[in-house]
Amino acid sequence: MSTKQADEPLGIFFASWSEKRAGRVPGNIPIWVGILSELTEFGIFFTAYFIAKFYYPDVFSSGPQSLNTTIGVFNTIVLLSSSYFMAKAMANIRLNNLVKCERFLWLAFICGCTYLCLKTWEFHWNDLQGYSTSTNEFFTVYYYMTFNHFLHVGWAACAILWVIFRLRKGAYSAEENSGLEALAVYWHMIDLMWILIFPLLYVLR
Amino acid sequence: MKHIGTLEHFLIALISITLLNTFLGENFQSTAIVSTLVALTVMYKGFVVIDHFMELKGTHKYLRLMMKAYFVIFPSLIILTVFY
Repeated sequence: MSTKQADEPLGIFFASWSEKRAGRVPGNIPIWVGILSELTEFGIFFTAYFIAKFYYPDVFSSGPQSLNTTIGVFNTIVLLSSSYFMAKAMANIRLNNLVKCERFLWLAFICGCTYLCLKTWEFHWNDLQGYSTSTNEFFTVYYYMTFNHFLHVGWAACAILWVIFRLRKGAYSAEENSGLEALAVYWHMIDLMWILIFPLLYVLR
Repeated sequence: MKHIGTLEHFLIALISITLLNTFLGENFQSTAIVSTLVALTVMYKGFVVIDHFMELKGTHKYLRLMMKAYFVIFPSLIILTVFY
């Protein structure tokens, strides 16, 4: 296939959606396909939450009081901080400051690992209190949502390690950093999902 | 003294809102006012992350619109639960 053919648009979307008319796509198109899939998946979880809450209001009213709110709050702060570090990593790669960029990526990675440790401890704490997926409808939704989010943080943390490896190999610079930006937007999407999960499961009674 | 930039201000605001929401949840039952306040602050947190951390401000307008619509729809459902 010639370069000219590869660069031609597929013609399956509206012309107004093109980067030329709608603006630059941060990262790359494949990561946005992934993000849209994840948003749909979590959208189904949230819909399931609201339907279950409609049918079992008492269980959902008492459910958050059974959870360890302190761990939930710490995890929220940790994930917000990780998003901040990721944004700083992006700001530094644009300045071609590779050392600082790597430092902020490590900080985001440490936040991701801290989240995973705290979440594992929370699951263990729930187990000690006698709560499981079959305790009631609230806990079924709670485990369904939070364990899925846990997995997303897990593999995105592994992706940070991969990006650090690529950064050290000289793959990213101020001019070319779409791979790093793709990871950044995916990481922020995971943080966004937690921003919704936290009040639904820990705050609202 | 080191200058505190925009990103740092947003991070402080996001953490403060998280603590405020937790305080409301711990000390008050989910009345209409509390649920609405929590929904609106969640919406604001989402918008801040989308525009300033994810940096969608000034990029593809439909991707930004889609992300923001997500953070209008689901927090609105929180307000809807007030009427259950």
